[in-house]
Amino acid sequence: MAAGVYAARKKINTLFLTKDFGGQSLVSADIKNWIGTKNISGFELAKNLEEHLRAQNSIEIKDNILVSKIERHDDKFLVFDEKSGQYETKTILLTAGSRYKKLNVPGEKEYEGKGVFYCSTCDAPIMKNRNVAVVGGGNSGFEAALDLLPYAIKIYILEYTGECKADSVTCDKVRASGKSEEITMTEVQEIFGDEFVKGIRYKNRNTGEIKELLVEGVFVEIGFQPNSEIAKGLVDLDKYGRVIIDSKNQKTSLEGIWAAGDVTDVLYNQNNIAAGDAIKAVLNIYDYLKTK
Amino acid sequence: MVTIYTTTVCPYCHMAKEYLEKNNTKFNEVNVEEDEAAAREMIQKSHQMGVPVLDINGSIIVGFDRTSIDKALGL
Repeated sequence: MAAGVYAARKKINTLFLTKDFGGQSLVSADIKNWIGTKNISGFELAKNLEEHLRAQNSIEIKDNILVSKIERHDDKFLVFDEKSGQYETKTILLTAGSRYKKLNVPGEKEYEGKGVFYCSTCDAPIMKNRNVAVVGGGNSGFEAALDLLPYAIKIYILEYTGECKADSVTCDKVRASGKSEEITMTEVQEIFGDEFVKGIRYKNRNTGEIKELLVEGVFVEIGFQPNSEIAKGLVDLDKYGRVIIDSKNQKTSLEGIWAAGDVTDVLYNQNNIAAGDAIKAVLNIYDYLKTK
Repeated sequence: MVTIYTTTVCPYCHMAKEYLEKNNTKFNEVNVEEDEAAAREMIQKSHQMGVPVLDINGSIIVGFDRTSIDKALGL
């Protein structure tokens, strides 16, 4: 959206394609580091950015559109969407962001919504008076635990490595509640149940021992994966599937495609940085088009 | 009749409500966080526990799925 505002102000003939307005921060209950704003919910932030973008009069916006394919034809690109729309362009800025990483264990897909959740802000309240497991002991895991504190009886936090790595402010709050129990060196094997989730099975990575926890909710918080599938085969990706960019100008390995934000191999995944990087990309695209 | 089952801070619930308002659709909101009977009703109708759930004249839609909402509303 930052890119859209700059592109409109530079009067670059721009089409803005998006599934929706928000991205990963949409589900953050309280963002305290968006510069210039003491605190704001992810939902409000997304709305503000959308309003700012829609206030520009020289940009075409199409929402509820998911891009499915990009093809290169000589010095131009064809962009296809899932609703059989087709667009021709000289340059592309890819800001597709990232999505929740899944565990890929038996039961995860089957019980999605039936006890397996990815949005703690949304679904923590339904866990009232229930035991739950949070998979992932990083920041998002502990933030999920924090969302669950007012509702759940007991919160197990399962971490793959030997220690939980969340910020100490968040850890302290969760630990002070006395409701949480951290279990490290775990590898989740299966989520099981009947109509709904009844428990989770995991392996102790030190001893190989298989253990079970009886829980009615499993919140999967093991990080994010980039939405880079549409760029695969066109631009270079790193081993995590992130678009490799030149951090000076956001150029990808293919002339005519730029990328910014969580879809790239940017070192820090932050709203402020993603916005700045997207602006950097648009300014560089502007310079590029001037020379064409 | 349109009923939407929500929790208080869930952003997708807010988005779904705003979308209905934008399309001039009257709806009845039930907060499952405050009303346990409604939570049971939502689970029974949708066979799952995630929010939002929309009941549009008997069509049950899980999540803020604009394409399904449009279809159920005949938009």
